[in-house]
This record gives sequence, structure tokens and C-alpha cells, in this order.
Amino acid sequence: MNHAYLEERDGEPVLASGPAESAVGFAVQADRTKLIAGSEDQILVTGANGFIGSWVVRTLLARGFTKIRCLTRGTSTPANLDRIRAEFGASGVEVVSGNLLSRDVCAKVMDGVVIVYHLAAGVEKTFPGCFLNSAVTTRNLLDAVTSAGNVRRFVNISSLAVYSNAQLRSGGALDETCPIDTRLVERYDPYAYGKAKQDEIVREYGRLRGLPYVIARPGVTFGPGKAKIPGRVGIDAFGVFLHLGLGNRMPLTYVENCAEAIVLAGLTAGINGEEFNIVDDDLPRSRTFLRRYKRKVRRIRTIPVPYSLFYLFNFAWEKYSAWSGAQLPPVFNRGTCEAYYKSQTFSNQKAKSLLGWHPRVSMSEALDRFCAYARERVVKA
Amino acid sequence: MIKAAIVGCGKMADQHAVQIQKIGSAKMVAVCDAEPLMAKQIAERFHVPAWFTNVDEMLAAARPDVVHVTTPPQSHLAIGKKCFEAGASAYIEKPFTLNTADAEELVDVANCKGVKLTAGHNAQFTHAMNQMRRLTSDGFLGERIVHMESLYCYELGDPAYAKALLGDSDHWVRNLPGSLLQNIISHGVARIAEFMTGDRIVVQATGFSSPFLQKIGQSDIIDELRLIIRDENATTAVFTFSSQISPSLHQFRLYGPKGSLVIDDDHQVVLHLDNKEYKSYLRFFVPPLVFARQYVGNLARNVGRFVRNDFHLPNESGLLTLIRSFYQSVEHAAPLPIPYREILLTSRIMDAAFEQINALKQEKPMQTLGLETKSSGGNRYRSLS
Repeated sequence: MNHAYLEERDGEPVLASGPAESAVGFAVQADRTKLIAGSEDQILVTGANGFIGSWVVRTLLARGFTKIRCLTRGTSTPANLDRIRAEFGASGVEVVSGNLLSRDVCAKVMDGVVIVYHLAAGVEKTFPGCFLNSAVTTRNLLDAVTSAGNVRRFVNISSLAVYSNAQLRSGGALDETCPIDTRLVERYDPYAYGKAKQDEIVREYGRLRGLPYVIARPGVTFGPGKAKIPGRVGIDAFGVFLHLGLGNRMPLTYVENCAEAIVLAGLTAGINGEEFNIVDDDLPRSRTFLRRYKRKVRRIRTIPVPYSLFYLFNFAWEKYSAWSGAQLPPVFNRGTCEAYYKSQTFSNQKAKSLLGWHPRVSMSEALDRFCAYARERVVKA
Repeated sequence: MIKAAIVGCGKMADQHAVQIQKIGSAKMVAVCDAEPLMAKQIAERFHVPAWFTNVDEMLAAARPDVVHVTTPPQSHLAIGKKCFEAGASAYIEKPFTLNTADAEELVDVANCKGVKLTAGHNAQFTHAMNQMRRLTSDGFLGERIVHMESLYCYELGDPAYAKALLGDSDHWVRNLPGSLLQNIISHGVARIAEFMTGDRIVVQATGFSSPFLQKIGQSDIIDELRLIIRDENATTAVFTFSSQISPSLHQFRLYGPKGSLVIDDDHQVVLHLDNKEYKSYLRFFVPPLVFARQYVGNLARNVGRFVRNDFHLPNESGLLTLIRSFYQSVEHAAPLPIPYREILLTSRIMDAAFEQINALKQEKPMQTLGLETKSSGGNRYRSLS
């Protein structure tokens, strides 16, 4: 069967035709020059009004896609999507409000969909909250996907936080070969727990029901729309910023670059079952990031905290928490300390190789844009 | 050894599981949720040996002594009865039931089957509330309580709750007879019910949708409630629920003929208002010193508890105390931590309040400023006898 598809020529999408990757369960050799969906194909983006989701929608529109169904939680005013509709026109963007906990909603939004970008996630403080809104919602959506039967790619957005770096030496490379952390409960990391369980379900549907999926794990996504200093740089403690990242490389990805990689993950032929990380080139060190922030956004009082000292603090807190029956909950513990503040290097080679992706916005330009936005917010406040 | 089980594996279930694990004489034998993934995840995290998706199967297989029912209240009656029929006692989360008729039925069935039940009014057992109870039973207030004031606030700006409730027109909380109020106010009302001595209670209620909710188009939800309560023994109480007061306060005041008490549950502080008069200008100098000494005493008490590893967050410590007391009652025939009369009275006061504000809502739509414009004659009085 021939399909119209988009082919990239000189970096621009061009309509072409030829054999397309089939629906559920059929994998072909990777071919970066061919895309598995055409501009008229129905796309679904969950979490479409979110920070990354709205950029995914914007990127799809820029690539000429004309049928993008955007699922948003009923709680949020779809301000980001409203801006996109004003910019690109409303015809290509269908906004649907609903909760993925409802199987009816899942079935409804899957009507005619061939590519799913699943960005909706549970961002809560509790394990059941994150699990419910990441794992259970994903299971519901996957049931609808497999029932619909015409999905060519399910792009599951996970997180770099699910990896374990316990066995990595300081300075070692955290990449797709690292194991998934099995001690996320002990790490007291509900978000990462929810994401890891979500990934498990996606893999299971791939194995048992032939779901054509890819799993993308963005690093720390930043850009206009998020003014806070990323947690991997440090934490605010009673008005003083504890600089914990020091000389660590930050696994940053500029939101526009990240969205581009995610979009390609849904379109590139022959990569079903692949899992890859998304970080940009030229990753800055934490102190470089903070220095630029102080220079371009605002002056803040910072105290540098060596990793060994912070690790010791986490160790003591963890022990006290266990001894006291969580009179202080184990929010600080060695697992979290290692996962977020141990010095690692990060690679985007797999994403580049699989997707033919290159971050379009340089790190320097991205940092400038972030700082300009953060500065604007500070002035407004 | 108490064999405990949990039905309903959401956020509340986690809080229960954490506290049950702290009780040496108890072990969790099973969890149950209609959603298998939810049942499985809590079983994995808390190392519970069995998980189920069907309550009957769980009761038959695990044979728990106590079942913690942490499902939405629409299912409390049915699940509670199943537990009692199976010979298990039940800790039923708040709101206890949809209405008083259901509450009475649960109590009747529990009595009939010779098992016990309690309601999830854990805020009754914070350190400050326990201290208040000790002082009251020691006669600090005098021979009777004259008046009570219960202030219970809720921060509706909390994104997690706002997301869940305000963004979902089908959220189970909206389908309760008292909607948002029913899910929240029982802690504040139960404090009053504990000290109401009479059975013939009169409740006067007014409620309205706050300007905040009106502004975001949620005027069908009432988030401001005021109650005046009186019994036949001339004990009176005022209950205030607000989502708009900042800071979000949780206070309880008891007034007696001999002295009065102020319980600041947010900071775990108990203040005595002694019946002492000071002459001339001393009244402006001595009492502040007395209050300062009391605050220092509260600080020392809280720090002391923390150092002895006996503080924890108030809701958690209250939950642990309530669960532990309930288990003792089940295992050793000790008195129930919350008498059934108090559970039912709380339910009756809430029913009366919801009936009145729902009637007001139907009669006259809320005005743009969120103020109920009806004259005082529009307020309803309901006698509960």
C-alpha cells in the first residue's frame, strides 16, 4: 500500500509517496529520509498545552501537519494553545478537553489517529497521584490505541530521572545503556516512579500487543515559559540558594530543540521499540549556568555546597528519617543525591543517529532566551 | 496481632499504610482497588502479600480484623456493610457516609454483627487537641461548656486539589450532597459535636460561593459556610469554613464559666484564657507576659516531643493515634476513640447545613460579588430532634 508521506529535503518537509510503515506490530528498517505520516494524517498530542507539549504542536504545525488533536486537562485554560491558534490559524488544531482516566475520553480522542505523542503526565507530590496520572492514564490510552488499530507510532515521553547512576563512577556517561532505577520508592521520587511504571506498561504493550512505540527521555527542559532555575543546579533554602551542581554538566535541552526531537521520534521510519535520551549539544556546567543567570537575570545569594558534604547531609537525613518513622520524610536521601547531583556526562548520539536530529538552537542562544524570559518575569514581579 | 486491609488505593490509602506499618501489633494482609494497577502498586511499595480488585474476594481470602475504607464516600455504606458481614471492623475515612441515614445504618449493622467502626476524624487527635481534651476533663473550663468556635479553612488555591476538583465536572466530590463542603468540613464540625451534650440540636446555616470561584466560573460550588449551632442545654457553637481566609487557619475555641481555651491546630499551640483580673494598668502588662510564657511553654513542649521522636506532622500523628486507639478497642475491648453518638451528630449537623444551603442555592442564584443578598429571614433554621 502506498502512502503519502513527508520527506525531508534540505531540511524542509516535502510530500512524497511510497510504502509506509504499517500499523501495530510491523517494523521496518530505519530510514531517516522517510517519514511515516503525511501532513493530512491525524496526530494526537496529549498534554498539548504543557511546556513541551505546546512546542510539539507548534513544531508539527511548522512542518505542515494540518490535523493535530490536542488533549488538555480540563483544569487548565489552554493559553499556550490559544496563542498557537492565533499564530498558525485555528483550522489545524483541534483542542479536546478531557481526562485520560476516562476510557471514553481515550476512545474518543483516538478516532482516526495514526501518531500519538503522549506527553501528559502526573506531576504531584504523592506516589499514588503520580502513578495514577502517569501509569494508569497511559494504560487507558494504550487500550484505546490498540483498539483503534491504525496507530503507526506511539511516542512515550519519559524522563532522564528514571535511570540509576548508582553503578556509574563520578564523571561517567549516563546514556541509554544505564539501568532503570529499581529503588525509586527509596529515592522518594514519585514523579520518576510514575514515569518508570509508565515505561514498563508501554514496553509490555509493545511486547504482548505489538505496539509500535518509541520512548523518549528528555533531560532538563528549559526555555521561555519556565523561569525557575533547574533543580539540578541547586535548591533555594530559606532565601539562600544552595549551589549543588557546581562543576557538573547539566543535562539541558532547550524546549524548541526537545520538541523537534520528539516530533521526529513520531515520524521517523524504522525505529519502533527504541528508547533514547534528549539533551542538547555543548551542555554547560552548573556554575556557568548560574553565573549567567546572576549576570543576566538577577543577583542571588548563593552558597556552593560540595557534593561530598551534601551526600553526607543526605545520608544523615535518610538515617534519621528511617529511625524516627519519617518524622522528617526522606526527601533527602543518598539515591536522590546521586541521581541529581553526582557528576555525569550525557550523550545525545543515539537520538542524533536514529532521528537525524540536531539541536537547531545553540546552547548559548538558548541560555540567552531563557535568561531574557526569566528577567522579564523578575521585572514583572 | 491485628490483620489490617485497605480498600481504595489512592492517596489516603498511602497515609493509612504508613501509619499501620508503625504499629508493631498490626500487619497489612491485603489491599483492594477496583483498578488493578492501583492495588498492585501499593502492595509492591508497602510489601503487602496480597492484592485484590474485589472486596468480597479480599474479605474471604485475607480474613482481615480491620478494614480501612479509603474509597470515595459514595461506596462507604456498601463496603462497610460487606466488612461487617464478614466479621471485620472498619475504619471509614471521612466523609463518613453520604448522609445520616447511611451512617445510622452502618452503626446498626456493626452493632448487630458485634464488630466496631470508626470515622476518619483524625484531626481530633492532634497533640494540641489531645492536650485540650486533658485540660477539659480536668475541669479547666468549669462544670460545662458555654460556647465553641471552630474555624476551619481550606486553601482552594492548592494546585493539586484545584486541578482535580475544579477541572473535572464529574469529580466524585461534586456529586456529594454537600459537594466540596462535605469532603472537608467534618474535621471542624466533629470538634463541636464532641462537646454538644444535648440531642436536640438546632442548626442555622448560610453559605455562598466565594468571589474567587465566581470569577473562575465555578459558582455552583459553595466554599464559604457559616453555621450557628445550639442544643437544648444552651450550649452554642459557631462554625466557620472559608477558602478565602489567609493564612488558612484551623482553630478551635472553647469557652466555659471558669476559663477558656484556644487551640491553634496549625501550630500545635494551646492557650489558656484564665479567669484572672489585674488591677489598673497591670491588666495591660501582666497578661501579655502570661501569654508569652504560655507560648514558650508550647514551644518547649513541641520541641521536646520532636526530640523524643513523638511529634510528626499533626495530621499524621492524629491518624496514628486514632488507628492505634481503634485497634486497641477492637483487640482489647477498650472504649472506642470516637463514640458513635459523635459520629452521628457530626453527620446530622452536616446534613442540616447542606439541606439549608442547597435550598438557598435553588431559591436564589448567587450574586456577582458572591454574597447571599437575602435578608436574615432567608436563613433557615432546622431543629434536629
